[in-house]
Amino acid sequence: MHNFDILLICASPRRKGTSAMLLERIKNLIGGEIVFLNQKGSFDELIKKMQKAKTIVVSGPTYINTYPARLFELLEKEASNYKFSNQKLYGIINGGMPYVHTHEHGLSYLRLFAKENNLTWMGGFVLGGGAILDGQPLEKHLNHKKVVPLFDQFIYCIEKGISASKELYEKAEVAIPKCITYLISKALTYKVIKSLKKYGHNPDDLIYYLKCEKEN
Amino acid sequence: MLITIILDDSKNNLADIIRESIEKTTNEVVIFKANDLNVEPCLACSSCSGKTYGRCVLEDDMQKILPQIVRSEKIILVSPIIYGGVGFHIKKIMDRISAVGDPRYYMKNVELVKKMRIKNLKYYMIGIKENLTFEEELLFIKLHEENIKIMDVEGKAFIVENSSDNDSVEKIFKEIIYA
Ligand SMILES: Cc1cc2nc3c(=O)[nH]c(=O)nc-3n(C[C@H](O)[C@H](O)[C@H](O)COP(=O)(O)O)c2cc1C
Repeated sequence: MHNFDILLICASPRRKGTSAMLLERIKNLIGGEIVFLNQKGSFDELIKKMQKAKTIVVSGPTYINTYPARLFELLEKEASNYKFSNQKLYGIINGGMPYVHTHEHGLSYLRLFAKENNLTWMGGFVLGGGAILDGQPLEKHLNHKKVVPLFDQFIYCIEKGISASKELYEKAEVAIPKCITYLISKALTYKVIKSLKKYGHNPDDLIYYLKCEKEN
Repeated sequence: MLITIILDDSKNNLADIIRESIEKTTNEVVIFKANDLNVEPCLACSSCSGKTYGRCVLEDDMQKILPQIVRSEKIILVSPIIYGGVGFHIKKIMDRISAVGDPRYYMKNVELVKKMRIKNLKYYMIGIKENLTFEEELLFIKLHEENIKIMDVEGKAFIVENSSDNDSVEKIFKEIIYA
């Protein structure tokens, strides 16, 4: 499908990750152009595209409870130099943790950006458990029975240009019982240790930066 | 008892006030000016939790900051508040501090959390903005609360509305130093 009014911005440095997969899903259903946020260099071209678009969708990972620095840089610099004309802005944020509260800051950040820069905030979607998914189709999500139709409803909102309620992503959150949480922490830790061992490391090794000469 | 302060003073003139008020109370302090450093955004290459465990492969000024951070008892990030978050100079450094995070998973208060590899680290954020709305203040504080939860560290966020108000800045630093 071609719909050049919709600009889909991937704010992850990983071009085949979960943020990108979610944008692919949108593109396949309603069209749009996917653009990857560069990690270096100028934002000029991207900003021109943002100004031309009618609808902008930002999809990015959670880094320390909100979007990555490079998106902050784009939005901070842009705001002081460019004007917008009521473009509709939607946000998607996905993180490893299976909760909403650990990622939701990203959407509020976008909402305030929209408010201060003459864009129209249309709501967003928070997806937990995005790290295990690691770019695989949404149908492979641990909670796919709920997540798939709810995310597709979110896409429907973008298509129709209507606000997406936070209820959509709130309903997609799974309540994980204590014993399962404990088991997940053990299983993930087992995986981490196994992969460290492969490289000859141990999680409790002396921290690398403690070994090197003190600066100053 | 080393304290590392990382500040972005591109939108204020806090660097001197901070240097003055901190030097009255302690001399074990290192100050980095985030807006003068060359720090690239995290590439998510995952080398720091694999092949080069605990070491970031990006060769930039973060290689000067990380050796200080791992020796610190307290980290203080000083940033303008932008859209309820921190400025991008500080955010780049926050993302890159993950290189010294513990890659294992833990459970705390019935939720999955991570930890830092630096033992007993205390983590502070000072946000600066004039005429801050209540909503933006809450968002900034909420971000810090999430940060200390996921890293399983102690800490506190502070707000400075008037960056030339030496007294209130000094008061915040005293509270952090004696904490
Ligand atoms: C520097 C860094 C920080 C991260 N911080 C968090 C975090 O605070 N909470 C979380 O749930 N996941 C965190 N993650 C994991 C990513 O959000 C997760 O892997 C996500 O699915 C990546 O999306 P992508 O495939 O689109 O890059 C972090 C990853 C990196 C590289």
